[in-house]
Amino acid sequence: MTTHTTRPARRYRPPGQLGGRGPLGGQAKRRLTIVGFLLPALAILVLFVFWPMISALRLSFTDASGFGREKYIGFDNYVQVFTDPDILRAMGNTVLYTVMFTPAAVILALLLAMALNSPKLPLRGVFRTWLFLPFIVSLAVAAFAWQYLLDPQVGLLNYWLSTFGIRIGNVLQDPVLAMPTVVLVAVWKNFAFYMIVFLAGLQEIPGSLYEAAKMDGAGPWSRFRNITLPLLNNTTGFVLIIATIAALQAFDQIYVLTGGGPYRSTQTVVMQIYQSGFKDLDLGFASALSYVLLVATLILSLVQFFITGRREKDTV
Amino acid sequence: MKKLLAAAAVLAAASLGLAACSSGDAGTAADGPVQLTFWHGYTEADGDVLQSIIDDFNASQDEVEVSTEVKTWAVIDDTLLTALSADQGPDVVAMPAERLPVYAAKGAFADLTDFYASADSNTAELNPQAVEMETVDGTAYGVPTGFVPLAVYYNKALFDAAGITAFPTTWDEWVDTAKKLTVDENGDGTPEQYGMVLPDHATVANGVWPSLFYGNGGDIVEDGTTAVLDSPENAETLKYWADAVANDKISPTGVDGVGADGLFSSGKVAMTIGGPWMSSIATENSIDYGIAAIPAGPVDQAASAIGVSMGITAQADDAKVAAAEKFFSYFFSEDVATEWSLGSGWPPLRTDIPASAVESNPTVAALTEISGTSRALLPGVVNSSDVLTEMDVVTQKALAGGDIPSLLSDGQKAIQATLDDQ
Repeated sequence: MTTHTTRPARRYRPPGQLGGRGPLGGQAKRRLTIVGFLLPALAILVLFVFWPMISALRLSFTDASGFGREKYIGFDNYVQVFTDPDILRAMGNTVLYTVMFTPAAVILALLLAMALNSPKLPLRGVFRTWLFLPFIVSLAVAAFAWQYLLDPQVGLLNYWLSTFGIRIGNVLQDPVLAMPTVVLVAVWKNFAFYMIVFLAGLQEIPGSLYEAAKMDGAGPWSRFRNITLPLLNNTTGFVLIIATIAALQAFDQIYVLTGGGPYRSTQTVVMQIYQSGFKDLDLGFASALSYVLLVATLILSLVQFFITGRREKDTV
Repeated sequence: MKKLLAAAAVLAAASLGLAACSSGDAGTAADGPVQLTFWHGYTEADGDVLQSIIDDFNASQDEVEVSTEVKTWAVIDDTLLTALSADQGPDVVAMPAERLPVYAAKGAFADLTDFYASADSNTAELNPQAVEMETVDGTAYGVPTGFVPLAVYYNKALFDAAGITAFPTTWDEWVDTAKKLTVDENGDGTPEQYGMVLPDHATVANGVWPSLFYGNGGDIVEDGTTAVLDSPENAETLKYWADAVANDKISPTGVDGVGADGLFSSGKVAMTIGGPWMSSIATENSIDYGIAAIPAGPVDQAASAIGVSMGITAQADDAKVAAAEKFFSYFFSEDVATEWSLGSGWPPLRTDIPASAVESNPTVAALTEISGTSRALLPGVVNSSDVLTEMDVVTQKALAGGDIPSLLSDGQKAIQATLDDQ
């Protein structure tokens, strides 16, 4: 007791308004403060995002290789993007990947989020942690682990399955199965993030709505359809957009698992950008392809944004 | 503080020297030795030997000083482009041989025609096939630092168990031997032990199938510009090996190069085709191994070779180019070439160094004996990786039972399109 020194409680002072105290006061100074705080972040953005983007746009009209002289070649790179069969194939693969990945990841995330949100589930915290783990692991590490699991000769998965008499063979080198396998790993790796977003959305829905519906005799399906789904609309829209963007930019797990093979069957647009830019040293073409991907992603995101936005208005 | 001042003084002096350099007389000996930076990816025992060669070179004269920067091959490949564009690259760089034409075609390397023509460059005795892999459109842009044929690495214990004493020398004998070494103990149609492993895609240095094509007189690309994949010889080769794999089950299917290494090191196959690294893999896994040449095909005995090249980058000025060429000449002098071969585990680059000179290292001696069969893989082909990807389609589908004539004709078209695009 004697060792304690008692201090009078600090009086609470409300923080002053930003820039509101000086004699100059006013909007100008307030704005200046805001800009001051934003400046470091803006500088980084300009230096590492906007400037490279503008440089890439310029490069996309040249035959640049990174050194030596570069020549302006107009729209040649863009023409090649839409005529080269290998590039068109990479675009097709990217669409296929997106079509498989996005719904699978989003639906799995929603189902698991609802399970985790249910008060009846015991050990909810433990499950949340377990399910979230794959998302924390570095993608390259996870891909390596899967590669070992799937190895046809020494892989554990093949070994387990073979005790049941099932032989899946070398799925990563099978031209038909390689893409679904890569998607599977990506879904396993990424669903947790979408799940957490859904969980946050679910917890915003007031429980009283469900109770009222129950009293009116609504079954679980009816409650899901008429309460959960409509009230999650914003969340679903957000998750759909980020999942689609992630799918369009798929690179690392494919790079590690299949390297784009077998014979280009998992070569996506971003894989192709890497190949053209850093392996074939054709930076101009890689930049053009990047811009095509950027515009496609932008259009797709806007379309999704407006569709989910429209539904939102209908339901309210 | 004193040290700092001294360092500053040195820096100031150096910049004065540089200023003198640029203001007139092009680099005299008074400015001190020409400094060369050298990137390479030799990280194991070979790296130590290379460093001691460079130290000896630096000590042997006072005009050139080479300083090394060791990076992995992948890091060199990923950073060279950006480093050169920022003018921060090396003056000399070593890289896997198949990557050199890509950079050379973009103007990243100095033309070495005069160097090769000069009598004291020590290049006259170099293996001509090794020089061939440095050549794009008839111009040499680099020098070889390593050139080794793919060879068959075999498991002596499994050979003894099967009572085989002599290594096969022809394809037919090879397949017969493989059949004897294939064991299906429980009779379920899937052997527990395979005679050999024939990877069908992404093979070791992508050289397995070219080696087999050469054996029957076939090839993939001629003169770096014309696809010749679709030939009756290649059709025969593919059919021969597809039959051996499908009917005699001498090899598992759907394996790539890395998988093949793994199967050999786990003792599940008796023979594999690989490079010198198989020696250390086998030793690490306590496999008593032998090395033999790839058996001769009906027409020829040849093996695709793996190579490492080094070039002088475009950022080096005339003085540096001359200095680097001086280093190359030293590197190819007979004693140094022998020392490098023994230390790196690769056969000597000079054809006048006999196997007896390197017999203290049995792996090198064995590889040197067969180095005459080596052929550069796709020399002068800039897009070699794309060509090999197209070839993988053909071999992979052929071994899976595809229609060989149509596979070859499709592959030919795809490869020609890639070549035209480069």
